[in-house]
Amino acid sequence: MKKVFCDLEKCLGCRTCEIVCAVVHSKTNQLYGALTEEPRPQPRIKTQKGIKTFALQCRHCENPLCVEACISGAMQKDKSGIVSSDKNKCIGCWMCVMVCPYGAIKPGKEQIAVKCDLCFEVIKEGEEPACVKSCPVKALIYCEEEEFGKNTLEKTEIVRPK
Amino acid sequence: MKYLIVGNCAAGVNAAIEIRKRDDNGEITILSDENFPAYWRCLISYYLAGVKTKDDLVMYPESFYKDMNINVLLNKRAVKIDTGNKKVVCADGTEFSYDRLLIATGGRPKLPEIKGVETNGVFCFRSIQDARRILEIVKSGGNKAVLLGGGLIGLKATYGLKKRGLDVTLVVKSSQILSQIVDKTAAGIVQSHLEKNGVKIKLGLDASEINGNGRVRSIKLEDGSELPADIIIIGKGVSSNLEIAQGTGLKTNLGIIVNSYLETNLPGIYAAGDVAETKDLLTGISTINALWTAAVEQGKIAGANMAGDGIEYEGSMAMNSAEFFDLPLISFGITRPKPGEGYEEIIKPGPESETYKKIVLKDNKLVGAILVRKIENAGIYLALARKKVDVSRIKDILGEDSFNFSKVAHLLDIPENYIREIATSHNLSAEK
Repeated sequence: MKKVFCDLEKCLGCRTCEIVCAVVHSKTNQLYGALTEEPRPQPRIKTQKGIKTFALQCRHCENPLCVEACISGAMQKDKSGIVSSDKNKCIGCWMCVMVCPYGAIKPGKEQIAVKCDLCFEVIKEGEEPACVKSCPVKALIYCEEEEFGKNTLEKTEIVRPK
Repeated sequence: MKYLIVGNCAAGVNAAIEIRKRDDNGEITILSDENFPAYWRCLISYYLAGVKTKDDLVMYPESFYKDMNINVLLNKRAVKIDTGNKKVVCADGTEFSYDRLLIATGGRPKLPEIKGVETNGVFCFRSIQDARRILEIVKSGGNKAVLLGGGLIGLKATYGLKKRGLDVTLVVKSSQILSQIVDKTAAGIVQSHLEKNGVKIKLGLDASEINGNGRVRSIKLEDGSELPADIIIIGKGVSSNLEIAQGTGLKTNLGIIVNSYLETNLPGIYAAGDVAETKDLLTGISTINALWTAAVEQGKIAGANMAGDGIEYEGSMAMNSAEFFDLPLISFGITRPKPGEGYEEIIKPGPESETYKKIVLKDNKLVGAILVRKIENAGIYLALARKKVDVSRIKDILGEDSFNFSKVAHLLDIPENYIREIATSHNLSAEK
């Protein structure tokens, strides 16, 4: 399936993706409006600074542990492979937070698990997810896994220590 | 091929689904001893609280089973397995034959030997039926509840009843609440939070007698004090429903013993969920971690293997996540290590703000953790424990608030392309 990948050589950790993600998941869908919303909309993507800087969001795993752990049936993987949490079913027990090996699910302020939904409404229309569209250095790529591997393999050869 | 599944909850239903994914034509039958379709059992406290309706609890609509061609029979209590003739006998005398059998009979609450425990108004808290009966008393004006046991079951029932506006007292035999899953410090934080929300808690005390004339009136405690009560809920642990294994030659201990393919010692018979005794991932000890998520995973693997797959089960581990009046708590693995056994603890306290983080290591491997209030990234700790990663090089940052996935990406061998890229680009993936 198509997912969002991050080119480690390009990501600067500027956090533009975080802002845009929060805005498109806000009620008003606008930066100014989002800033004054209560509770404040939360980004589903997080810039991480470790050995390398990169932006990370739900990996929409093939066998998602969060779906297995969900006690209310809110967390589901749909036919297209997108893992998302049904806000009407979620009760905020945070089992999914407990098992996600990426730390990609956040306890939301409204007792609802907050995670990347791959902007499913937007990609249905053939567009790219908001974080990808907004990335100023084109570090975020929306593509098939194999495609991403091919593109980055040459680059990783360069950075690999001899 | 005839597949028979005894038990209609997390393990049973998931097994059926996995079987169907692999076998289009096999006959799949699920026997349930309840009169309600498979439901999200852990949500009964939310049903009690009035946050969820009975219909919300139903796992799948009838059409789901129809589409999957899975035959579910309610009110069928399986009582005996005739292994020679490969059939299961139910309490009503009906018989079901099988080629492959899954025992997923689950567990049931342990009842303490207290005088008066059979009185009307004394409940366990395991099924939708329990919740329904408790609600009947609430609706008829019952407003005082006493809960015996300071475990998760007791606390979840407390939450439910408190939401309904009842006067709730928790009576705990141990010197702390949640003694099975967290240490004293974390328990203290949760306790004072519950008390702030109006729950009364009595520690170090057990009940000695339940009084009432046809209906519960009060409960007497060891210290001689007496608490008025319209409802008493007992949450003193769970034991496996093993009756069906009797006289079959099935190996049992705490539960039915299974191998890593979730097969019992008898050919064609599998077990999964709260009735199956498996290996604990962290301690290596044969035990039952009676958890929803473990039951789902075991059910899936057992079902797959019944249909001819060969998936190995890694083992289960103790893990819990819950939220009490907006205070989230996650704990897993070994959280109260015995001193002198070579455990190391990283503790970030702060009871004032109700935050607490404790990470337990042994031989440089993460074996347990407690997170109160700040629970983000809990899954990364769990993954480090599950994968038995040597964390000696990141020990100093493990407890930090800035700890995140990028700090450990190179240590976790996660089969996802994205992560492999991170790992290989630093040539660190082999350094586990």
